[in-house]
Amino acid sequence: MNRTQDEFVAARKAAWDELDTLLAKKSLLHKLPPASISRAAGLYREICSDLMRARSAGYSGDVIDLLDSLAARACAAMYSAPPYRLAGLRLLVTAGFPQSVRRHARFMALATALFVLPGILGFVGALKSRSFAIQVMSESMVQQMEKSYADLRQGREEGADSMMAAFYVYNNVGIAFRCFATGILFGLGSVFFLVYNGLLIGVVAGTVTAAGHGRNLFTFIVGHGAFELTAIVISGAAGMLMGYALVDTGRRTRWASLRAKSGDLFRLIMGAALMLLLAAAIEGYWSPSPIVAPVKWGVAGGLYVLVFTYLLLAGRKGEPEIDA
Amino acid sequence: MFRSAASAEKQSTVNLDNTVEVETPEHVRFRFHVAGPTRRAWAYLIDWLIRLVVFAAIQLVVLLATGTHLRIGKAIFSGSVLLSLFLIEWGYFVVFEAAWNGTTPGKRLLKLRVVKAGGYPLSFADAVLRNLLRTADFLPVGYLLGLLVMSWDSRFARLGDRAAGTMVVIEDPVRVTQAITLDPPPTAAELEAFPHRVVLSLPEREAVELLLRRRDLSPARRSELADTVAPLFARRLNMKAGEPVRFLALLYFIAAGTRAAKPQAGVPT
Repeated sequence: MNRTQDEFVAARKAAWDELDTLLAKKSLLHKLPPASISRAAGLYREICSDLMRARSAGYSGDVIDLLDSLAARACAAMYSAPPYRLAGLRLLVTAGFPQSVRRHARFMALATALFVLPGILGFVGALKSRSFAIQVMSESMVQQMEKSYADLRQGREEGADSMMAAFYVYNNVGIAFRCFATGILFGLGSVFFLVYNGLLIGVVAGTVTAAGHGRNLFTFIVGHGAFELTAIVISGAAGMLMGYALVDTGRRTRWASLRAKSGDLFRLIMGAALMLLLAAAIEGYWSPSPIVAPVKWGVAGGLYVLVFTYLLLAGRKGEPEIDA
Repeated sequence: MFRSAASAEKQSTVNLDNTVEVETPEHVRFRFHVAGPTRRAWAYLIDWLIRLVVFAAIQLVVLLATGTHLRIGKAIFSGSVLLSLFLIEWGYFVVFEAAWNGTTPGKRLLKLRVVKAGGYPLSFADAVLRNLLRTADFLPVGYLLGLLVMSWDSRFARLGDRAAGTMVVIEDPVRVTQAITLDPPPTAAELEAFPHRVVLSLPEREAVELLLRRRDLSPARRSELADTVAPLFARRLNMKAGEPVRFLALLYFIAAGTRAAKPQAGVPT
C-alpha cells in the first residue's frame, strides 16, 4: 500500500475508463449485451474498492470525486427504478385507485363536506340575494351567468365542442392539481380550494336559478358532474391527506410520514386526473348536445351509480390489496 | 474497521460542502454533489424557454394547418392551444424526468439529475409527485417558498423533493489531474541533500499535493504559497529550502519512497 496517487491512477485508469464508456453507451444497463452487463457489474465492484482505497490513502479530491461519480452512476444503472408499464395503469384503474379512496374514506367525507356545504350556502345565498352573488363573483359575471343558460338548444358553433373539451381539461385538471398540491401547506390550500370552488359553483347555480334557467343549468351539469365533482373532492381529500401526514406523523419524522403516504397520494391524484379527462369529454360533447332533458337525467343517474359503485366495490375481490 | 465507518459517518454530518453520502446495500459509500438553487434555477430557465418555444411552434403549426378564416379553424386553434398548454404546463417535467431517468433538456445542459435520496433512479410516481408540488413550491411567487424550504435542508430539497424523497445531484464528468512531474529531473546533489528517510503525515502530504496539482495557480502565486510552507519542512529536516516549489516537489517524491526510482521529467512516477 505504498503506492502514490499517480501510480494508483496509472494502474487503475483503464478500468475506470472502461466502466465510463459502458455507462455512457446506454443509461439503461439492461439494453447492453449480456457480457457487457456482467463486465459492468465486476467493474462496479472494483471501483467501489478503489474508492475505499483512495479514501483511506488520502488521495486528492479529484480522484475521489471521479470514483464517487463513477460509482454513483454505476449504482444508478444497477438499481434501476421499476419501469412504469401499461399494466401498472390498468392495475391503478381496476384496483389501486378505488382501494386508496376507500382506505381514506374519512378524508373523502371531510372533503365532500368542505365542498358541498359551501356549495349549498352559495346556492341559497345567491337565490335569495343578488348582492350576495355579486360579492362572490363580480357584477359582470353575474350578468353573464343570468343570460348564458337562457337557451341550451341554440347549439354551439362548429368545432366548439372540441375547443370546450380542451378548455375543461386545461381548467379542471389544473384546478384539481392545484387543489392537491397546495395541501402540502398542512392541508390549508386544499381546504381553501374545496371551499372556494364549492362556493363558486353554488353561487353560479343559485344565480342562474334565480334568473329562471335552473333547469337548463342542472340538465347541463348533471352528466359530467358525476365524474367532475367527485374528482375535485378526491383531489382535495388527497391534498388534506398529505397535509395531515405532516401533522400526525406516528413514529416517523415529518417527511418520512408524508413519504409513507406517497403511494396513496400518487394513486389518488392520478385517478382523479383520469376521471377529470372523462368528465371533460362528457362536458365537451355530451352535456351541450341537443338531447332531451329526460334522457340526460337518466344517463346522469346511471353515471352516478357507475362512479359510486366503482369507487365502493372495484378492487375488492381477486386483486391483491396494494399497500400504502 | 468499525471505527473508520463511524468516523466517516461523523464526517458526513459535518460536511461544509454540498455533498451527500449514501450507502448501498453492499455497504459501499459514495458521495453525491447536491445541486444548489442557482444551478437549478438556470436549468429551470432553459426548460422554461424550451417550453415557450415548443408552445409557440405548436400554435404556429396549427395556425398554418387550419387557418382562421373558417370558424371551425378558430375553434380547433384555441382547442389545441389549450390542450398543448395543459400538456406543457403539467406534463413536460413529468414526462422527461420519467423517460430520461431524472433529467430534462435543461437539467442535461447543466449536468443535473434527479435521483432518490438513496442514490437510485426515481420512479414515475416520484416524478409525478415532485412536479405536481411545483405549484406549492412556486407560492407565493417565483418559487419563493421552495427556495425557503431548500435553505433549511442539506440536500436543497424543495417541497416536491421532500414529498417524493428525491434530490437533484450534479453529474459533472470529473477528470483526474495530470500526474505530478519533476522537471527537470532531480540531480544527485539535490537528492543527497535530503535525509535518507522523510515522513510526511497525511495532512502534510495532502497540503503539498494540493499545491503541486493545482493548475490554476500562476507560477508567482504558487511560489509565494510554497514559500510559506517550505521553510517549515526545511527547518524540520535541518536543511535549506532553496527554490520553494521545487523543494516541495522533491520532498513529495522522496516522502513517497520514490527516491530509488528517480523521477523522470514528464513521466508520471
